[in-house]
Amino acid sequence: MPRVSALDMPDVPMGQLPEHLQLQRTRVVCKADAPIHTEAIQYSGAYASMGVDNSLRLESFCKNFKIEVIRLTEDEMEFDMIGIDASLANAFRRILIAEVPTMAIEKVLMVNNTSVIADEVLAHRLGLIPLNADPRLFEYLLENDSPNERNTIVYKLDVSCRKGGPRMTVKSDQLKWLPNGSELEMEPPNQSAKPKSYTSFSCSQDSMPEFSKKPLGMKHEDIIIAKLGPGQAIELEAHAVKGIGKVHAKWSPVSTAWYRMLPEVVLLKDIKGDDAEKLVKKCPVNVFDIEDLGNGEKKATVSKPRACTLCRECIRGVNEELVELRRVKDHFIFTIESAGALPPEVLFTEAVKILEDKCDRVISELS
Amino acid sequence: MEHGSLTDLSSSTFSLMDEDHTLANSVRFTLNQDPRVAFCGYSIPHPSDNKVNIRVQTTGDSAKDVLKDALQNLMVMFQHVRTTFDKAVADCKENRPSEHMNIDTP
Amino acid sequence: MDPQPEPVSYICGDCGAENTLKPGDVIQCRECGYRILYKKRTRRIVQYEAR
Repeated sequence: MPRVSALDMPDVPMGQLPEHLQLQRTRVVCKADAPIHTEAIQYSGAYASMGVDNSLRLESFCKNFKIEVIRLTEDEMEFDMIGIDASLANAFRRILIAEVPTMAIEKVLMVNNTSVIADEVLAHRLGLIPLNADPRLFEYLLENDSPNERNTIVYKLDVSCRKGGPRMTVKSDQLKWLPNGSELEMEPPNQSAKPKSYTSFSCSQDSMPEFSKKPLGMKHEDIIIAKLGPGQAIELEAHAVKGIGKVHAKWSPVSTAWYRMLPEVVLLKDIKGDDAEKLVKKCPVNVFDIEDLGNGEKKATVSKPRACTLCRECIRGVNEELVELRRVKDHFIFTIESAGALPPEVLFTEAVKILEDKCDRVISELS
Repeated sequence: MEHGSLTDLSSSTFSLMDEDHTLANSVRFTLNQDPRVAFCGYSIPHPSDNKVNIRVQTTGDSAKDVLKDALQNLMVMFQHVRTTFDKAVADCKENRPSEHMNIDTP
Repeated sequence: MDPQPEPVSYICGDCGAENTLKPGDVIQCRECGYRILYKKRTRRIVQYEAR
């Protein structure tokens, strides 16, 4: 920004911020060496001396907040969240990754494993397999609970490779759901005691209406679990429970969830002729385009600012006075990649609900 | 848990168990936007404790009430986010009913 | 200790045949005479945490 004497500045009407402060408040400006104005001006009295109220008005938030869905598929979505502070957008992201529950294999009962993959490695691999089970239909298995049909899903894997045959690959579809619970028996403490099962299901899960239509299978059928050589075998039972990503990443419902601020590319001066051609060539993601002014004149324009990755190639060296890269502080391009248990739009609503519950909990503790 | 003085209710530190940056930073935001707040901030005393301390100093009102209002505001905002989101998704599904609507990112 | 030591199954390191040995038996495969035998994996359930 060029330096201007305060006396020469245009008068700013009361109740409005001067242009440079407005820019500072709403945009991050990315200079060639580092970004500036990265902080969020949150304090309500930040501009009190200028008669500008920076406090939060719920009505104005509700009026200005917008969501636009850009892309929505079975397991991925992208949307624009406009008019919200980074602290809240980040809260949604953190909850999505670490606190929305899913089901995952937690206990592996190994009966036999003569494959080359070690028991604990195999158990770990099983834990990471995404299950096609809605976690909202289950309860957490608490410390003193016994595993039952409301908190545990049991799978069985019994595979062997024929002696003299070729090697085989064990894939996730060979894990079979046991709706009646564990088929294995605990070793009795003494000879006379009756053997007990590892789970205590009171009814079969496939007789329950929520599971009878949709069996509790695997999300993907083709995940490689292990490879067996001739004569090798694996026999095990895997028990899945409900959990959250904070405890272990296998319970995270998303592959990843992230946001970026909306890029804004501004041409500070007209760029014409060869300079325009050069600028267009510099950008690896084709943010700029050429506008034909007629009579052979060409002018650079910004055609796809959203594609800007902030590589800063366009402002390296000479161009810093010509092009300014900015990011809009309250406009987030939010992407959610679901791991499969729930569709992305449901994950987001669940995340917001979890945050509401957190607030509610603290409020009730305070009163 | 609240740590404050019995005579001066305008400044307190609140210890929230089993919370982290997720809630604390959001509450700090709404607190900061409240004109009654003179100062607020939060800290996590030790990364291996599941605990966060929120400091609230007001211009006169009870810190507890101000914090409660901040949380209530936050809840209203979240509810609004949720309804807006649900509406946006419903609109999207209605207008483009095909499951795979891959639009090239502009 | 068990009152009667049970016979334990071993697998030959050379031909892969199963051998049942009692205490005092010669450690040698009955099929091929190979002297390295491997103990079979237990069928007792081992519990792992999938983490």
